[in-house]
Amino acid sequence: MPKSLNEVSDFSNIFTRYDIGAAVQKRGAEDVSTDKVLQAIATGVVDGDEDVVLENTNKALENNEPTKVIDTLIAGMREVSKLWDDGVYYLPQVILSSDALMVGLEKAEDAMGGKAQKKGTVVMHCAHGDIHDIGKNIAAALIRANGFKVVDLGSDVPEDEVVKAVKDNNANLVTGTALMTTTMSAFAKIAKMMKEEGMNTPFICGGGAVSEEYVTSFDLGVYADQAKQGVDMATDASSGMSWEDMRIKYNLVM
Amino acid sequence: MAKKYTSMAYNSWDEMIFGTTKNPVSIGLGPVELGKGWVVPQIVPHPRPGSTDTKEKLLREYQRMTDDALGRCVALGFPALVIEFEHIYQMTSQPDWAAAIFKQAKAQMQDYYDKYGLKSALISTVADLRKPDMVHMRKSQELTWMLETFASTAENGADVLSIETMGGKEVFDWAVQRQDIRGVIFGIGVLSSRDMAWLWPQIVETAKKNNITPGGDTDCARGNTAMFLAGGYTATDLPHTFAALARACSAARSLVAYEQGATGPTKDCAYEDPIIKAITGVPITMEGVASACAHSEMQSNIVSAVADLWSNEAVEYHDMFGGSSVEVFTEILGYNVAQMNASIALGQEKVLRDINIASDKYRDVHGFMLSPDNSYEIGKAIVENIDSYYGRSKAAVLKTAELIAGDSKMQLTEFERDALDKARREVEALPDSEDEFIDQCLSDYKKVAGFDPSAYGF
Repeated sequence: MPKSLNEVSDFSNIFTRYDIGAAVQKRGAEDVSTDKVLQAIATGVVDGDEDVVLENTNKALENNEPTKVIDTLIAGMREVSKLWDDGVYYLPQVILSSDALMVGLEKAEDAMGGKAQKKGTVVMHCAHGDIHDIGKNIAAALIRANGFKVVDLGSDVPEDEVVKAVKDNNANLVTGTALMTTTMSAFAKIAKMMKEEGMNTPFICGGGAVSEEYVTSFDLGVYADQAKQGVDMATDASSGMSWEDMRIKYNLVM
Repeated sequence: MAKKYTSMAYNSWDEMIFGTTKNPVSIGLGPVELGKGWVVPQIVPHPRPGSTDTKEKLLREYQRMTDDALGRCVALGFPALVIEFEHIYQMTSQPDWAAAIFKQAKAQMQDYYDKYGLKSALISTVADLRKPDMVHMRKSQELTWMLETFASTAENGADVLSIETMGGKEVFDWAVQRQDIRGVIFGIGVLSSRDMAWLWPQIVETAKKNNITPGGDTDCARGNTAMFLAGGYTATDLPHTFAALARACSAARSLVAYEQGATGPTKDCAYEDPIIKAITGVPITMEGVASACAHSEMQSNIVSAVADLWSNEAVEYHDMFGGSSVEVFTEILGYNVAQMNASIALGQEKVLRDINIASDKYRDVHGFMLSPDNSYEIGKAIVENIDSYYGRSKAAVLKTAELIAGDSKMQLTEFERDALDKARREVEALPDSEDEFIDQCLSDYKKVAGFDPSAYGF
């Protein structure tokens, strides 16, 4: 007589719950400041609490330079990244933290009377004919929250518009995402157009069907398989790393 | 609403089985009979980059893919095949290209039917080119192209019209990234449902005018986005429990197509379809093991439990050792289906169904909620709240949360349990009144870039 599923209690030969075995210990973030108000800003960022960040940013700006407040916001975001890397936080917690950071950043920039110095400029887009942009949007939020200027061109962007934006913004990095192989062919065209104009901007490409083999088949291309790599790549590009060196670092090929 | 589902199609979940439905459908050459006691394979071929450069190149690509699929069926003795062409951008935006491709494919299928008696049918899944934050959902060039392409493919060989509509995507994307269950209910349950209720009568009219079948819709742009973000055991982009709750909303939403006159076969990537089948009795297309060519998932066997068509989602056309990728996946699907149909012939279909349930029910919460027994309960919650898109979505979410929390064999990490509990508390705190919920959401989500309430009839 076959058993019913209700009678089965041992599934170990059917599946192994690797997530349960590797479950991460909950932990909080480390403090980043001995100043109570500044620490409250950082805690607000870690908790993704826009109200706490706003209230304490306003307080902090009464006695602190805006740049000090901005440094605290970014320090809070660094703690968030650590929690994400350790598996304590998932992506939504990181996005909420970046939202909270942006609220404080806007206030601090108002107090400065202008935009804070950005670490670099990144132009981002979804390929021509492609409207699948959630990956790009996630990467944009993370890169922005880590102190970069993001020029987000949106979706279904013609190739010449991407090249123009890179030139006009003097971008340190350009990114492209595509879900389908039939749209990712735009990336090679963009790279070719950029090379013809003498541009050497690293071009990070990623997305559902995009492969490392394809991206490394044309000059400037560096493959990214996760949105969270965007921050490190933006940092490297903004510090002057060439596309060739980035390819060796991230794709192990040249 | 054209049809209101006030009761379930089945008396109990155990009545549900693969290959048989309460409301079977016949399509294409043969005809191919769906839900009449056996399962049918469905191949979804996808053209390669470069093949889209010209109409002639694309026609040749589709000619080869179609011939490969049909030829492999005859070589191996598969009795029937459904071919789905999921439109790439170039097909929907150029109705004449789409028409030519479908006319050509139908002619090929007719040849095989005339020569061998191979039963086949052709599905036209028009691309929804309307991205809510880029165009107005109810008036745009993109919409014009879509409607023209529904017509051009219907007139040139399509047997079924389907689509993966994009309504609510802008709010959903914003909400899912922030684990905001209220935004998910609004984006999927309200906005997407309203968009479908507006669009589907037009699709049904085109299908009826051409004497073909209005198939179905899928919550791919939202429910599957959540599922893919959740990923496998090692991913940290979205709690799996949250993705399961989004899927519950997907079921409440996808039902709208059938209320508006669609009859199935449903769209293959609508994982919510076991719930749809429990409510409507329409034939459902599911994808599992053979769709690994397109994406990974944690419920590949259990989703076959009540499937009437078995699909590979999409495979790009390439050479493999065993032939082209289309030949290979036609073969995989054909043999999968032969096994299911053999079990029916031997009176062992419930045994096979239950084996597949056992494989995945407790592997992950997504498979758990799509298990036919749980799908049936979620379906009941939807039917009991059928009058309101919001009400049925909220009920589906709460029932899913209750089922997950209530089965001790469904193990959860502390993080997943916390995510489930948090979402449940937030949903329980939502207003009872749909009007109040919508007013709150229209106010709170107006900050979402590109959200235009008028696009949804507000």
